[in-house]
Amino acid sequence: MGTAEILNECNKIFIDQLDNDSIVLKRETTAADVEEWDSLTHIQLIVAIEKFFKIRFTTAEIQGFKNVGAMCDDIEKKLNSK
Amino acid sequence: MKKGDKYIQQFKVTEEVYKGFLNVFKDKNPMHTDEQFAKSKGFKSVVMHGNILNGFLSYFIGECLPEKNVMIYSQSIDFKKPVFLNDSLIFRANIEDVFESVKTAEIKFDFQNSEGIKVAKGNIMIGVNL
Repeated sequence: MGTAEILNECNKIFIDQLDNDSIVLKRETTAADVEEWDSLTHIQLIVAIEKFFKIRFTTAEIQGFKNVGAMCDDIEKKLNSK
Repeated sequence: MKKGDKYIQQFKVTEEVYKGFLNVFKDKNPMHTDEQFAKSKGFKSVVMHGNILNGFLSYFIGECLPEKNVMIYSQSIDFKKPVFLNDSLIFRANIEDVFESVKTAEIKFDFQNSEGIKVAKGNIMIGVNL
């Protein structure tokens, strides 16, 4: 699965978890760009992403993601190392 | 708390629990208060409010887990069979998964009555050691 596909799957997860069909994630997207993305929904998003891709993040990794693109790159790296 | 941990707890839908729920939440639907009505719908007696079980769940999360620093993020419950006054229920919970990155645990649970019939099941997401 490439980064573009990962971004697309993440977009579906965000739409589902945040109940907002209009969300269009870009690599540069951050929490500040998505109204519903707060500290509580952040947890729901991470759990849903970990479940969907069958991966695990560390707290440090999550804190280090500067945007959605960085998260997708890390997901790709984890999927490729399986 | 780790994946695979299991918990068992016994609850009873006592008169105090039933009346307390009625008094606080005022759901006096005849299914819950009118014996004849409930029997006319095929039940042996008035059916207890399903959300009484959610009260038991709250007690379990808040009081029975080894960690007190917990918060319920979400929960869902399916009511499979009716519960009646004075039913004793065995509650079983299993830590299904732990998401350490966000300090979250997923718990699957069910309630069985004294006849071994599963009356409800569901899952809860909780934050732990926030």
